[in-house]
Amino acid sequence: MRRGLLYALLGLASLITVVPLLYMLSLSLQTEAETLSADAVLVPASPQWGNYAELFRRAPFGDFIVNSLVVAGAITLAHLVFDPLVGYVFAKFRFPLRNTLFVALLATLMVPFFVRMIPLYVLMANVGWLNTYQGLITPFLMDAFGIFLMRQFIQPIPDDLISAARIDGASELRIYRSVILPQTRPALAVLGLFTFVFQWNEFLWPLVATSTPEMRTIPVGLTLFNQEYFTLWHLTAAGSVILFVPTAVLFVLTQRYFVRGIALTGLK
Amino acid sequence: MRRLLRPGTLQGRYARTAYLFLLPAILFFAAFFYLPIGNVVATGFRTGPMADQWTGLGNYTQALADPAVRHSFLVTAGFSVIVVIGSIVLGLALALAIDQPLKGRVVFRVVLLVPYLTSVAIVGLLWRNILDPELGVLNRVLLALGLPAQQWLNTAPLLTIAAVTLWQSVGYTMVLFLAGLQGIPETYHEAAKIDGADAWRRFWRITLPLLAPTTLFVSVMAVISGLQAFGQAYIITGGGPGDATDLSVFHIFNVAFRTRDFGYSSAQSVLLLIVIVAFTLVQLRAGRRSEVTY
Amino acid sequence: MSSHPSRRDLFRLAGAAAAVPILSSCAGAPATQATAPGTFTVYWNAGHDYQAYRTVIAEFEQANRVKVNLQKYQWPDLRTRLLADFAAGTVPDLVEEPGGWVQEFAVSGNARSLQDFVDRDGQAMGFPSDWQPVTVERNSYQGKVYGVQLHLTCNTLFYNKGMLAAAGVEPPTTWEEFLDAARKLTKDGVYGVALNQDFTYMWPWLVQAGVTPYDLQTKAVMEPRADAVAALQFQADLVHKHKVAPVPTAGTDYSGPQKLFSAKRAAMILTGPWDLDPIRKTSPDIELGVAPPLKNRTAATQAAGVSMFVPAKAARPELSWDFIKRVTTLQVEQAATKETGMLMPRKSWAELPEVQSDPITKVFADALPTAQDSSQQVRLTGQLGKWEEQLKVMYQQVLIQNQPAAEAMESFVKAAEGFLK
Repeated sequence: MRRGLLYALLGLASLITVVPLLYMLSLSLQTEAETLSADAVLVPASPQWGNYAELFRRAPFGDFIVNSLVVAGAITLAHLVFDPLVGYVFAKFRFPLRNTLFVALLATLMVPFFVRMIPLYVLMANVGWLNTYQGLITPFLMDAFGIFLMRQFIQPIPDDLISAARIDGASELRIYRSVILPQTRPALAVLGLFTFVFQWNEFLWPLVATSTPEMRTIPVGLTLFNQEYFTLWHLTAAGSVILFVPTAVLFVLTQRYFVRGIALTGLK
Repeated sequence: MRRLLRPGTLQGRYARTAYLFLLPAILFFAAFFYLPIGNVVATGFRTGPMADQWTGLGNYTQALADPAVRHSFLVTAGFSVIVVIGSIVLGLALALAIDQPLKGRVVFRVVLLVPYLTSVAIVGLLWRNILDPELGVLNRVLLALGLPAQQWLNTAPLLTIAAVTLWQSVGYTMVLFLAGLQGIPETYHEAAKIDGADAWRRFWRITLPLLAPTTLFVSVMAVISGLQAFGQAYIITGGGPGDATDLSVFHIFNVAFRTRDFGYSSAQSVLLLIVIVAFTLVQLRAGRRSEVTY
Repeated sequence: MSSHPSRRDLFRLAGAAAAVPILSSCAGAPATQATAPGTFTVYWNAGHDYQAYRTVIAEFEQANRVKVNLQKYQWPDLRTRLLADFAAGTVPDLVEEPGGWVQEFAVSGNARSLQDFVDRDGQAMGFPSDWQPVTVERNSYQGKVYGVQLHLTCNTLFYNKGMLAAAGVEPPTTWEEFLDAARKLTKDGVYGVALNQDFTYMWPWLVQAGVTPYDLQTKAVMEPRADAVAALQFQADLVHKHKVAPVPTAGTDYSGPQKLFSAKRAAMILTGPWDLDPIRKTSPDIELGVAPPLKNRTAATQAAGVSMFVPAKAARPELSWDFIKRVTTLQVEQAATKETGMLMPRKSWAELPEVQSDPITKVFADALPTAQDSSQQVRLTGQLGKWEEQLKVMYQQVLIQNQPAAEAMESFVKAAEGFLK
């Protein structure tokens, strides 16, 4: 009976979660008239797969996808390189000002992005990096969330492993590469997914830092499907579905590591 | 400190290695975070559409006396309380449920995290459409079931956007708690069972204390993101009705980009920064005290 | 393009980082274009990418040997981008704006005065003589022209002919008739009228009641006060007292009433030409009637519509002006109206036979001379942002949350007098 209750609870939660997303899928297959009809349409009369083709016809949507992949992909790779290294230092090294630096690092999470956006924009304009991939990527090469996460993951790794490697005469970089990193592989999957999802959906920076339609990312490109005073729901929903697919695929691929990955840490 | 950096000693060598490894990060954060943030602090002392007139502490005294600023802090506090408590309680409950040896739990795990993969903007647009009292799909379903129609965006706007936020983020909290639960060795539960403790007692005496580090991590992150909530007001309610959902960061955004008073918005962000840092330090301290080692 | 920064790039980055200026001190920064020199950058609304303008752009490119980079945004996004550009000096050559920004940016020194061009070419192009006076006034500051109106729109009354005929109701012309009609039309899940959640839709009521929102000379806010309160209360009563309109839902778009109208759930809405296209597209079976703005003290309405301006630091103002001239000729206005039904600011446009013979466009064209710009006086104080924020709160508190209009108006006036003094 208890099991039945659990299934009921989880089933209900999953239903509440998944039904709105199915509705988004339904919207993406409706005609424009259906999206605006008096009684909201749940299932389109005949699925308008052409809505997806319409996206590519009306805007350089292929460019948007490539740009999003390049930008979010490059940033994710950078995080996978930098965040564990910095997290490792904070987890396993003793050095002057360690706690101060760590708090200073955390503080960067507490300023909303748009607040520092204009100084950042001025900086990028002065370097001449507006409307370039490096301009879209560089400001996000690492962040405090990823470093904090990796520090939590690396902390439980026994110090003895590191000491033993040092006694064997391994260089510090080598210890990091062949002792620490292999232990954190599942954690890296977590970091990669979170970073990719966040950057993939990022809106404000690509909005201001791109100056041609061909350089836009998907979230910014999607705004083209709004008219001055109303939203083209069928196209916006279709774009949203496309936006959603890569993160979902990435998640399904990584979710095995995901739970084991976090489980490893104990999050001390 | 001097001793730690002294050349020749082992500690000194490690400390130097540490700084060597940190060097790229220090340069990066200096260029892309501290410099712009320093800029924001400096702008907070200025006024005018180009933020080019010195006003000293003028923006700060104005902000502290501004009823709209005070109101937006209260709205944000209410929102954060709901979201932080909600995501911890619901996330933990779902994690405990999914931690049972159930068939198909992988499916639940995937499904429940899926909203987190979507952007706040799309979630906002989607729910705005669903909740519309006159034309939304929810009321159509409610009426078909013989239930009264809702107008939640007008009658309980703050609660509604908090619920939408929870809808999106609870799976993420659940996964973190789930992971924390995997980290508790089964032996503790076995021992308690032998001692005759029932499930309720085992939860309070073993599970919860051993989950403390996870709870701390989740709550620190939830408070930070709750106090910085923005998209919900920007996309769904526009801060309304009236000023009922005028979240702080949304308010600051409007001061900056609609009113174009970057001096005033900068000063308000600095005040918000102080509030968030204070909350986080209190949480970290409380968390450290409640950590139990067995 | 390589995504790998070269070492020189890194040095430049380091140098720029060390010298990142405070917002203000970059006033002397060079006016660099965001894109290559052969490119002419225009910021445009995503909903205004008309074929008629595409044709003009092609001609412009040909004549000036440049490539036009048309950057399309939604209004709030365009503003975010533009403010960042003002701070960095990377401004576009021409900006389309939703109404009101011209004066705001003239006051702040970010818009270039076009008076020299107007003095030179005005006669030939018919500016300002052929433009409706309100469009010139709302784009001028201290006697100089800073922007040129592109579209001129106004609010009026849309109604469902079938529903009115079925209820035996004539299109209302006064507030009393309007209320009476709304009462008769409200039944069976249909509302007589649907009001907008956006506060700007209250202006037609206020100007019809003869209210001056703000007077720069006397500094009086919302006078005559009693009439302002009555106008606001009249709208709220439609919702809460007479129950002939649904409670608007607070949000971020303006399409609520149009959707209800399209869905045949509302018989009348008060709106502008931007809702024509969605209604025709989504419910071609509705027989749409358009009537002149209502009359109370006066017959008047709210002017709206977009203008163009040239940023102060734009590198080639001559070219920008050429673009403005080309896109505002009567022929282009004519083509754009034919294509989209959009309304235009030229007086000679209103005289065109196709405008006069189209029953819907003619109603608008006749109403345009009575259109007023309700925020203009406040814009000139530089306090428009705060003013609008407070207006929104007042409007929604009264219309949605059913707060008495007198009470909400009192706190609004108190707040407004505070920041306008």
